[in-house]
Amino acid sequence: MKRRTFVGAATALPAVSLLGAGSARAQVKEIRMIESGGKSGESIEVGYIEPFTKKTGIKVIRESPNSLGKLRALVESGQTSTVLMELGSGTLVQAKNLKLIEPIDWAAVNPAAMFPEAKNEYGFGYQYFSTIMAWRAGAKAPKNWAEFFDTKAFPGKRCLPDFPHYSLPFAVMATGVPADKLFPLDVETGFKKLNEIKKDIAVWWKAGAQPPQLMKDNEVQYVICWSGRVVGDPAFGYNFAGGMADLAYFSIVKGSKPEDRAAAYKLMYEMSLPANQAKAATVISYTGPSPELDALLPKDKLSDFPSSKQNKSVQWFQNAEWWAANGEAVNKKWEAFKLGL
Amino acid sequence: MSDIRLEGVTKRYGTFAAADQVDLSVTQGEFVTILGPSGSGKTTLLSLIAGLNRPTSGRIFIGGRDVTNATAQERNIGLVFQSYALFPHMSVLENVLFPLGVRKIGGAEADKLARDALKLVRLDGLEARRPSQLSGGQQQRVALARAVVFKPDILLLDEPLGALDRKLREELQVELKQLQRTLGVTTLLVTHDQEEALSLSDRIMVLDKGRTQQVAAPTEAYLRPANRFVAEFLGIANFVDLPDGRQGVVRPERVRLAGEGQGKAARVIEAIYLGQMVRYHLALDDNRSVVVAVPFLGTAHAPGERVSVSWESADVWPVT
Amino acid sequence: MNRASRLEGFGFIAPLLVLMVVAFNAPIVYMLGLAFWEKGRGFTLEHYEGLLEAPVYLRVLGNTMRIALIATIANIIIGYPLAHWMRGLGSRGRMIALALVVLPFWVSILVRTYAWIVVLGNGGIVNRALQWSGLTDAPVSFLYNELGVTIGMANVLLPFLVLPLFAAMIRIDDRLLQAAASLGAPPRTIFWKVYFPLTLPALAAGALLVFILCLGFYVTPAILGGGRVPMISNLLDTLINQIPRWEQASAISTILLIVTLVIFAAYRRLDRKASGT
Repeated sequence: MKRRTFVGAATALPAVSLLGAGSARAQVKEIRMIESGGKSGESIEVGYIEPFTKKTGIKVIRESPNSLGKLRALVESGQTSTVLMELGSGTLVQAKNLKLIEPIDWAAVNPAAMFPEAKNEYGFGYQYFSTIMAWRAGAKAPKNWAEFFDTKAFPGKRCLPDFPHYSLPFAVMATGVPADKLFPLDVETGFKKLNEIKKDIAVWWKAGAQPPQLMKDNEVQYVICWSGRVVGDPAFGYNFAGGMADLAYFSIVKGSKPEDRAAAYKLMYEMSLPANQAKAATVISYTGPSPELDALLPKDKLSDFPSSKQNKSVQWFQNAEWWAANGEAVNKKWEAFKLGL
Repeated sequence: MSDIRLEGVTKRYGTFAAADQVDLSVTQGEFVTILGPSGSGKTTLLSLIAGLNRPTSGRIFIGGRDVTNATAQERNIGLVFQSYALFPHMSVLENVLFPLGVRKIGGAEADKLARDALKLVRLDGLEARRPSQLSGGQQQRVALARAVVFKPDILLLDEPLGALDRKLREELQVELKQLQRTLGVTTLLVTHDQEEALSLSDRIMVLDKGRTQQVAAPTEAYLRPANRFVAEFLGIANFVDLPDGRQGVVRPERVRLAGEGQGKAARVIEAIYLGQMVRYHLALDDNRSVVVAVPFLGTAHAPGERVSVSWESADVWPVT
Repeated sequence: MNRASRLEGFGFIAPLLVLMVVAFNAPIVYMLGLAFWEKGRGFTLEHYEGLLEAPVYLRVLGNTMRIALIATIANIIIGYPLAHWMRGLGSRGRMIALALVVLPFWVSILVRTYAWIVVLGNGGIVNRALQWSGLTDAPVSFLYNELGVTIGMANVLLPFLVLPLFAAMIRIDDRLLQAAASLGAPPRTIFWKVYFPLTLPALAAGALLVFILCLGFYVTPAILGGGRVPMISNLLDTLINQIPRWEQASAISTILLIVTLVIFAAYRRLDRKASGT
């Protein structure tokens, strides 16, 4: 760079930034979001970002993965560039308690009709997903959790989530506790049940891609996994009955710019439209929060979607508040349990 | 009685013969040098005797025992390399104790033997040092002490002084000779340095291209070389025509130098001062060159000066 | 080197040093400091007390050390003979062997890890061969246990041991070994008294490197261990990314760092003793 142009640039800089500060309603060209990546990210792109950008001209930059640690680092470092953060139901409560996210201005979003649980004070529940039982095609099909945990009547290796909040509740249900009496969770009973069959649990999975692959390799025959990983594949059998429905949310990152938030609310509005949700569901077998969505989905695929009427009614909902309060203590027990394997 | 005997020892690498039908007999206490240029096969021969290598054919005897197929450790040989080959992770004393340890000699006895050996090479007081903390000459003496401490039947020295500077080399030559005489150990030295060979050995064996050229006492080989190669390799050789048509060799010290008209006429090309001696490179009238070495007595002939040379016919040794 | 020229050299290196400290060291110090210092509360040892009260995290740390030690030993058992064998090859053979050893560096660790599933799984090559040959009736469980983790880690980390070891071995002068033989030492003695001690510093350095890398391993134990082999980095992931309890993670990391430094210091001490300076 020549000296003269350098001096010129240096004097021009303050003028530009002053201009930016003066007009807070300046045209937003792009906003940034952190989401969970993979097919889910693709479905957001196709279902919501494309129509949003078409209407507003604002681009959305996606980034993944979406760990709570990353959010904490963002907020504590005082960043203002990322406005939207995808969170699970549990991490949403934790993020709220840690003051990492801001309440949503629902009036500004002005969404189409939504299931009530998806309209959280701090999160826009944009995607239903289920944690269910599945098995390798040909294996004897269990009808409930007691049967799933009965390794004598249903012989075969198991693969369970290496996360207490995805595994323990099912173990408790296997002892006969009904879904509406699950919480407060009887952790000791859950561990006792897991201990009974621990020899038959070959793998504790960390990545959602592991259980279907392990079934295909015939390393395991029964799994507890996310519904989107197994539905629609003839290699697997699965059952939504007794499964756990959960929601993924988008929240507003603390410290983000007001003009970015205004844009984010417009994107949320797009997320509430059933037509957009139907488009997203062509990419991934997880569904949006519109009660009118069923009508727009292919009839033969309704059994694959977590929030379709027939599936939603046989599942129960994750209790995020309980896990936010007890998660760390349970996690210590979880580590101890794993050491004893 | 611990003599070395080689019978038709041959080592081939493919079609190349590094040692070709070599015969040698070394008697008890004798100091024999294997002399040859690099690539002559002298180190190959040494490694065959040491047992680091096996001959393609022929037999090797040490102390009357056929060791042709014996391993190195079965031969009881003290071996000294040019590179010293000291164990860098051991102290001087530990290096010298090593051959005793493998012979199950330990405790005070081993300690005394090792310290005596170090005293013999004048290294007492440096027992605790590491090889890396010693000079090249000191390292070579440790290697010597290590090679003799276990009273080997024979001592093999592979260019032991080659890596040292000239002054140190001459000092160590004397020490080596004394040490060998003190111990009375049969010794085989390998070198390409003819001065070293001539000054140290009882006999020398000249090797070229894997073949023996001559085995003789140093003066014998120097004055009566078996062939042209030996004549040239052992020092400067003047070749002269003999009346019978053969060629003979005269050493520079045997050529007489005088003023003009007292022999064959010659012209001084170059005069080289060697301290006590002056070496003249002369050109005869028929353009053949002659080298003369005479004691330096204060004055010398200058290049271009005309002189004359002559020699006794008894000092001319016919070579083929 | 005199004082002035040393200072001059420092002038050149100073910007790099500043970059190192600011970009690499400061964030680490900040993370470690989290365990001692809390906004608005000042100095606290609470997070270390928490560790003592919940020894499960320390047990995971202990388990990690144990696995790291096993993997390191497995690495030595495979790597030492391998490096020794490579030393004996011709220059061409050495180059090929070296390329094969280094090859894994160029393949994604994830790919290599999943490749082991193909090889060692119940329906994998090894088990099919075993059953076909009639050596076993049922598949042998190579994976989803400590064995799988050990195999996977040994594979990934082998170059870190073999390369320094091989470098040290080819530096050993053959004449040293010949000298030892001529002095009457049988092959066993030559190996243990001469060859092995000369490779020991490289072996120790390589093993230490492997051990320390094992302590921080994440992907391989998570996948090949089937979640059954708790390792400290997986626990740290949970504490940092899921819960998130950075202060607790920081306390564990500090302990891990101290243990690593202690091991390193012990090694330096041994090394200095061995080299006698």
